Amino acid sequence: MNKTAPKKPELQLQGALDLSPSPESCPVTFRERYGHFIDGKRVAGKDADDFDTLNPATGQPIARVAAADATEVDKAVKAARKAYDKVWSKMSPADRGKYIYRIARRLQERSRELAVAETIDNGKPIRETRDVDVPLAAQHFFYYAGWADKLQYAAPGRDVRPLGVAAQVIPWNFPLLMAAWKIAPALAAGNTVVIKPAETTPITVTMLTEIFEEIDLPPGVVNVVNGAGATGAALVTHPDVDKVAFTGSTGVGRIIMRAIAGTKKKATMELGGKGANIVFADAALDQAVEGVINGIFFNQGHVCCAGSRLLVEESIAADFLDRLRRRVSTLRIGNPLDKNTDIGAINSAEQLATVERYIAIGQREGAELWQGAACARPDAGYFVMPTILTGVQQSDTVVREEIFGPVLSVLTFRTPDEAVKKANDTEYGLAAGVWTEKTSKLFDVAHRLNAGVVWANGYNLFDPASPFGGIRHSGFGREGGPAGLMPYLEVR
Amino acid sequence: MSRLAVQKTLKMYVGGKFIRSESGRTVAAKAADGSTMNVCFASRKDLRDSIGNNRSSQPKWAAMTAYNRGQILYRLAEILEARADTLPAKKADVHAAIDRAVHHAGWSDKVTAVLSTLNPVAATYVNYSLVRPVGVVLAVPHPDDGLLGMVEALCAAVLMGNSTTVLVPPASAEVATHLMEALATSDFPGGVVNILTGDIPGVLATANVHDDLDTLFVTEGVLEPEVLKTAQIEAAAVMRRIVIAGRAAEPATPAHLMRLAELQTVWMSAWEPQGGAAAY
Repeated sequence: MNKTAPKKPELQLQGALDLSPSPESCPVTFRERYGHFIDGKRVAGKDADDFDTLNPATGQPIARVAAADATEVDKAVKAARKAYDKVWSKMSPADRGKYIYRIARRLQERSRELAVAETIDNGKPIRETRDVDVPLAAQHFFYYAGWADKLQYAAPGRDVRPLGVAAQVIPWNFPLLMAAWKIAPALAAGNTVVIKPAETTPITVTMLTEIFEEIDLPPGVVNVVNGAGATGAALVTHPDVDKVAFTGSTGVGRIIMRAIAGTKKKATMELGGKGANIVFADAALDQAVEGVINGIFFNQGHVCCAGSRLLVEESIAADFLDRLRRRVSTLRIGNPLDKNTDIGAINSAEQLATVERYIAIGQREGAELWQGAACARPDAGYFVMPTILTGVQQSDTVVREEIFGPVLSVLTFRTPDEAVKKANDTEYGLAAGVWTEKTSKLFDVAHRLNAGVVWANGYNLFDPASPFGGIRHSGFGREGGPAGLMPYLEVR
Repeated sequence: MSRLAVQKTLKMYVGGKFIRSESGRTVAAKAADGSTMNVCFASRKDLRDSIGNNRSSQPKWAAMTAYNRGQILYRLAEILEARADTLPAKKADVHAAIDRAVHHAGWSDKVTAVLSTLNPVAATYVNYSLVRPVGVVLAVPHPDDGLLGMVEALCAAVLMGNSTTVLVPPASAEVATHLMEALATSDFPGGVVNILTGDIPGVLATANVHDDLDTLFVTEGVLEPEVLKTAQIEAAAVMRRIVIAGRAAEPATPAHLMRLAELQTVWMSAWEPQGGAAAY
């Protein structure tokens, strides 16, 4: 008997799948400079501290962006307060809802333009902005528009009231979608908003303000201030803000919570994660491969709920990793505007350095590195090849810390108990996935995972009707569903 | 000839046992009849022991059926009712506390039905959000709410599947002792409810830096603003939830109880497994 197994034929896909470029045409005209949107007016902002927003796929600047100082933030909060007192809280709930419906419709109508702009400013593939970010953003406004005149059913038997002015700080990984997640429930609940986009991705939120102009949203109901950390700090610490909603890193979440300690401000924190994706031997393996890829390589892994830890049952680990590597070898990395592209650009040089630093740490701690795709890494711009780290342990840095990039750490387990124990062995608790065709095991394991969201035979699925948010160091509060209204309401 | 009474030092209650402070420290406090009583005074280690004990007891409590947990809460009301005449408090206050335990006992197997949702997502998944315990809760009721405040706080915490340490000042120890004795005979597994008597800001200073405490559940007005602010600043290190409850005159409603729980959303595949949002 032949003791060595026959060598499996290996796919050599680099260069074997050359497709003609198929870039999305660009229907977007960028302005040379982006300021703020305060009290229904475009405000140029000061030149001091202004900065470039770049196209991460090329590293080239797109436009200059103003940074709001404390005075401009104060103007925005005052505008939001005035709009709350004089207009938005006085308006019939049904009319508030109708404004939000208008926003949803205009988002749909301008979807192609928004998708292209998002891809250029953020670096994520057009396939994702077109199919996920923009449609989900519109759906979010649609969903919460319908809540505006039904708030009394959100907390049956109780009287609910809006909080007032909401200060919202959002990240760069889903710029338009996060704005929708924040603005839609706030407005539906009857609050007014001052929102600060991330400094590397200000453009689509600015386009959203054009939509506010187009649909005649009353001035001051939503205000946008651009800028970096200092602008965000001025916003969340402003004394006339009633509510702080933040999505971003756990580190910044801690800074904000300390800054607002001792005030009456309500907070929602949607923070980091280190999601486990558990694959049992009796899973539908090829679908699970798709799910693992979607879990970690969707949006280049710039996803707070990314399935960055693969826990695969030991008996199938070798086979599953073969299938996984083979499938990853067919992913196309490159121009995000190309409709064939699967893996786009890392959002910034800083994040690129962070991801590369983690890959180096992983190797230094003994991980085995595998990287692959169907084409070579582009020379220009910020790109990281899809990365799989094997031979890692629970205590390794790449297993404990959020990398926020296309880096998958692979661990194995033997029993469901061990899988659950390893999955829950983290400070975070945002999301997790489990894959098996055995229904009883699917339910059992799904309900034992300490995470705010669990995908059973799926990963990275989002819907405005589905509450999303974390436990433990991943933060608190929910976005989506009726639960997503509660952070913006006072229950009496 | 008058009889010489037996004096007892009022102990604390941790893990189903009546304990003295590990420090051996006691403080004097006034009893309802004007006499002086000696009360055990919680140390930093007493708090750590209690939280650790809460942690190990919580999963078993949460795993019990809601029906069973409701019966145990109702049993607490039964035991308190039997002792109502002996409690050193106004009858009306004692009766309010007993009725509160009955009220919350009834929520045990209903509150999750009120707070959970079946979410109509645009995908072939059955999507539901269910209520899970937040874990270990340190409850600080308002001393002026007496027995009712303690009962309200502990019921709210444990009916959501949490375990809790209730912190009261030495002046509340006499009533708290009756509550401990009722808890000890009401079928609560040890460690689900612990009661410590001590200096509230002093014990909180230790709780603030305890990384394994999930929620601080304080009644409004019980902490000085600076003490509350410090607790909020320290809580950020582990994203500890800080829940400010209203005074005990009104029972916590489901929307309020939700703050002592976590919502978990499950996407359960209803058709064939799918890769996810963005098909590659």
